Amino acid sequence: MSLLAAIRPDDWNIALFVHILGAMLLVGALALVVCALAWRDVRLGYRSLLFGVLPGWIVMRGGAQWIASKEGFDEGDVPAWVDLGFIVSDPLLLFLIIATVCAGIAARRERRADVASGGGLRSAALVLAGIMLVACVVAIWAMTTKPT
Amino acid sequence: MDDWLLFFHLLAAFLLAATIVMYSAVALGAAAPGRTLFVADRCWDVGGLGTLILGIWLALKLDQYGFFDGWIIGALALWFVATGLGQTVQRRIASGETSAIAAMHWIRTLVVLGLLVLMVWKPGA
Repeated sequence: MSLLAAIRPDDWNIALFVHILGAMLLVGALALVVCALAWRDVRLGYRSLLFGVLPGWIVMRGGAQWIASKEGFDEGDVPAWVDLGFIVSDPLLLFLIIATVCAGIAARRERRADVASGGGLRSAALVLAGIMLVACVVAIWAMTTKPT
Repeated sequence: MDDWLLFFHLLAAFLLAATIVMYSAVALGAAAPGRTLFVADRCWDVGGLGTLILGIWLALKLDQYGFFDGWIIGALALWFVATGLGQTVQRRIASGETSAIAAMHWIRTLVVLGLLVLMVWKPGA
């Protein structure tokens, strides 16, 4: 597979670049969310989810679909590693929406009460962000080792 | 074996991305606590070493690439520039000298983007 990657057509590169760029923004912003929420900075965690993780997911997923269509993986026989990528990335959006709503409500409550708390909603968002981060590592493993 | 090397090489690159995103939040005005910057700096250290060592290992191991290919030499040059900028940003923040930190961070971000472009397009490979 490494050899195949080395000889992929040049016009696939831009789609691959967009996909990896989105994935890097997604993972980097998730790392920031985990740090922020773990240290009770709910506002930073919420903003990172909204302005980092969500755009990152959209760019990553759009890039994935783009390169999948270029490689002919969007119809018919899809390799297991591409399937695994979609299986990991699609539910991620649901997790992301729930985590963003939880962090948003926690940030709003915190602002109104003027105390640093967040409570259960912060913890829920933190756990979801942690799960998403692990899922991303699994997806990176699938994209690089390409298990059959 | 090669695939696992590539996996850890890419994982190290994602650690660099994590640092870039965390520092970008600070450069854009977020009040990130010192502990967040500590994590960002450690991600930079581990990611930097990981990308360099595993990248060279891959270049030497894979037959289709030569260590002296233009894109690999270019990537090494960009890696040293990014590392230099990263170390300077870390040092300046530690000493409380905040001048030009944001500018240096954005240049580092562009350099890392340049690295990604080289890794995807591999010009001359």
